Amino acid sequence: MSRNAYQEQLYELREDVLEMSDVVCQRFRRALEAYETGDEALAESVIEGDHEINQLYLDLEGDCVELLALQQPVAGDLRFVASSFKIITDLERVGDLAVNLAAYATQSGRERYSEVDVVHIGTETVLLLEAAMEAYATDDAEATHEIAATDDEIDAHCERASRTVVRELLAADPSDEQLLEDVSRMLLTIRDLERVGDHAVNVAARTLYMVDNDETLLY
Amino acid sequence: MSSNTTNERTTGESTSETEGLSDDTIIETDISVGPDSSRTTGRPNTIVSADSLDVYYGDDRALSDVTIEIPEHRVTAMIGPSGCGKSTFLRSINRMNDRIPSAHVDGALSFRGKNVYDEDVDPVALRRKIGQVFQSPNPFPKSIYDNVAYGLRVQGKADDVDLDDAVERALRGAALWDEVKDQLDESGLDLSGGQQQRLCIARAIATDPEVILMDEPTSALDPVAASKIEDLIDELVEKYTVIIVTHNMQQAARISDKTAVFLTGGELVEFDDTARIFENPDDDRVEDYITGKFG
Repeated sequence: MSRNAYQEQLYELREDVLEMSDVVCQRFRRALEAYETGDEALAESVIEGDHEINQLYLDLEGDCVELLALQQPVAGDLRFVASSFKIITDLERVGDLAVNLAAYATQSGRERYSEVDVVHIGTETVLLLEAAMEAYATDDAEATHEIAATDDEIDAHCERASRTVVRELLAADPSDEQLLEDVSRMLLTIRDLERVGDHAVNVAARTLYMVDNDETLLY
Repeated sequence: MSSNTTNERTTGESTSETEGLSDDTIIETDISVGPDSSRTTGRPNTIVSADSLDVYYGDDRALSDVTIEIPEHRVTAMIGPSGCGKSTFLRSINRMNDRIPSAHVDGALSFRGKNVYDEDVDPVALRRKIGQVFQSPNPFPKSIYDNVAYGLRVQGKADDVDLDDAVERALRGAALWDEVKDQLDESGLDLSGGQQQRLCIARAIATDPEVILMDEPTSALDPVAASKIEDLIDELVEKYTVIIVTHNMQQAARISDKTAVFLTGGELVEFDDTARIFENPDDDRVEDYITGKFG
């Protein structure tokens, strides 16, 4: 393969990763909508569509392995391929979390925690992921630090939401058999939203490494 | 191992490597052996250094203001496009460029702190300390045994050392002993390409040098033979310092500790740990070169 074709392959990898992120973010927004509206058909479409994201992941994993094996990229090219390889894993995991959220959408009990605004927190996290992918798309190292700082705010938001749920638990009637199931489901939902923010930070961290060889956001 | 008493004179060899070694008049210089250092401990000593080195062929400047400190007991790779001066630099270290009438040198090039271009340095003695292995395997048309014993004989050391032991030691050092121990009297030219190159390495280390210069030593070999040479280089730095010119950047990345990148005009653009050069070079021109965007 000529070096021009190699450069074209690198360009296409970035485009394909961005396309995968568009699918994942759209899928997560649909899951939020299903959660908000209780639309079972919409929730089911999110769950059933997960295999599409998994396939995108496998295709891109294959592209990265092929680039590494056949082109042996170095320096900035190597950091780009290595970062893309890691980022698609984060995107695939967000796809799984969208499935979780869609599954919760069809289950009862969340009205018990009306003051926990799942949709608002979820929207914040998906906006953060989109911002991280924009940084990846435009080699914007500066934005990556802002993304990490914003995730700290989301973490705090999730922490407050979890405390609200636990307070409800303490005040609830212990004989309520549905209680434990509702509590655990809500706590899992909050944790999943918080994990989406973490994946956005992972994307930002890999982007910072990719652009500046700066590992400061990696853990 | 049978004693080989073949009484061949080792004159008249056509390879450039043999010419300097054929001079029996060896003037020892004050080039001294410094303290040893291990590859795994502490900061290594500098064994070869250049300070504002220029090398000219006539009016053409092949190396331009090169300053570098090469650590001992490490593999240092020299990479860069054709004509960038990396082989010129290699040949300057043991004064092989002396053979080119139009070549002249400005600045300093030192081996253990001694400028090798000082008048009191004998290039033959220097080349005993700094051996060389070339791109194409070039064993002499002699037996395997005589190929390895050659350097010791021309140095007049054949009577002082147990030649059989020295030959075995060198062949073991070049990872060739087990393959040739039963055919030492056979011609070195009958070996495979990869074996011939290891024979040349055995010949180079038989005289116990401190530095081994390698100019694209695997470019004429198949991947398996090349892999054996690469493994051998990794072992050689326990005892020697290896400086290798290679066009194969993956090879440089695999086997070297330090990498020097020369670009057109004979300029040393960047010299750093190999991992840094291949992960995050400082100079944009180096990034462009190693990622294939250069030129």
